[in-house]
Amino acid sequence: MKVENLRKRFGDEEVLKGISFDVMRGEVKAIMGPSGAGKSTLLKCIDLLVKPDEGRIWLEGVELTDPTVDVNKQRRKIGFVFQEFNLFHHLTAIENVMIGLRKVKKLPKDKARELAEKALLRVHIDESLWNKYPAQLSGGQKQRVAIARALAMEPSIMLYDEPTSALDPQLTGEVLQVIKELADSGMTSIIVTHEVGFALEVADELMIMVGGRIIERGRPAEVVYSPESESTKAFFRKVLRVEGTTR
Amino acid sequence: MTNIQSLLKYLPFIFEGSLWSLGLVAAGLGLGFTIGIFMSLGEVYGPSYVRKLIEFYTWFFRGTPLLVQLFLFHWSIFPALGLRTSPLETSILVLGMRSGAYQSQIFRGSIKSIEEGQMLAAKALGMTTWQSAFHIILPQALRKAIPQLSNEYSIILKDSAICFILGVMEIMTRTRYVTIATGIAFIPYLIAGCLYILLTYLGAKIFDTIHARVKMQGLISG
Repeated sequence: MKVENLRKRFGDEEVLKGISFDVMRGEVKAIMGPSGAGKSTLLKCIDLLVKPDEGRIWLEGVELTDPTVDVNKQRRKIGFVFQEFNLFHHLTAIENVMIGLRKVKKLPKDKARELAEKALLRVHIDESLWNKYPAQLSGGQKQRVAIARALAMEPSIMLYDEPTSALDPQLTGEVLQVIKELADSGMTSIIVTHEVGFALEVADELMIMVGGRIIERGRPAEVVYSPESESTKAFFRKVLRVEGTTR
Repeated sequence: MTNIQSLLKYLPFIFEGSLWSLGLVAAGLGLGFTIGIFMSLGEVYGPSYVRKLIEFYTWFFRGTPLLVQLFLFHWSIFPALGLRTSPLETSILVLGMRSGAYQSQIFRGSIKSIEEGQMLAAKALGMTTWQSAFHIILPQALRKAIPQLSNEYSIILKDSAICFILGVMEIMTRTRYVTIATGIAFIPYLIAGCLYILLTYLGAKIFDTIHARVKMQGLISG
């Protein structure tokens, strides 16, 4: 995936001020930054849920920002996991995972069910939960079902928008574990997160976003422990209270 | 035969009117539902000229009394269009169009009450706006609208009594006929009133049952 000079303004405020980066197949990119830095908007622009004002995006050679491109078709290749899960309330867990396969990919019911079951097992959601409604699931379970829902579509890249921010601390681990496993198995991923430890362990590159710009990027360990920019140092000091971040 | 005896003979005749009244209600609700769904989708997802048309339609049907609409359509509008409708047909059409205006507002409200994240998630899977609306938003919006639909049922039931003015053979027309035939007014109208109360109660019960069965698990105003 290639993102070039993405800009977005909401009213008077420019939220994305020219974001550019590449993601290679199998790579895991983490994005961190203070609230309001535009991280969520960035991910939504990549999936064209929000239309960027300027800039271009390519996925596997296809330019997504080209007006002649069928956006809905391209979105199938991008899996999106939301901070608030956004599971469909009127459907059971397994129906949630199946609906994209049935209505978007037009698969027959049994094939859709088969793929859905595989995806749910991959995120460690046991059969006993498949017929439960989202309201009956814990936050961690909901998010894992949401991941399965995105996964079942067999995307080329997964986008995670602060996947654990809405979860209790005890439930964060199980979701991060699933994301890690997917990343280790080669799933190209971009994760917006506040979990420094996770970024250090799983990501190939860490980008720090402040005020709509990427102010620093590099290997996670370098960015976290020996950041170059003052803003990055300030971010880690203030927001994350990471001990001994500067040398 | 005394008047009381002939009154008793006429009771089944009045009760039969319930079938007609319920028929009017069912047809009106059904037609109104179809019109309401399309209009609400048009209002929420459609271009602005569609919205303007819908606004006009709603304004007209909600702004004029049913009585006026019945006469207007039966004696002016349908004939002008070359349609010769029976009183029953006119009543069903007018009740349906009128209910459609009200139901479109009900559905518009419940569609808008579905949080944006649902639409985002549907689109993220690759659904078009239409697919998202039909498979994700509407199923939830309709479930939320059931209490208001129950209310609409009561309203149409009461409106059906006004169709008496065109001579449709529902409860009120028959009751009036009986009062003229027997010369007794008090009992027939009392019976008619009780029938409406009974039908209102039964309808509400049915909607409550439907609501309980399709309610989305765990959501409070499901």
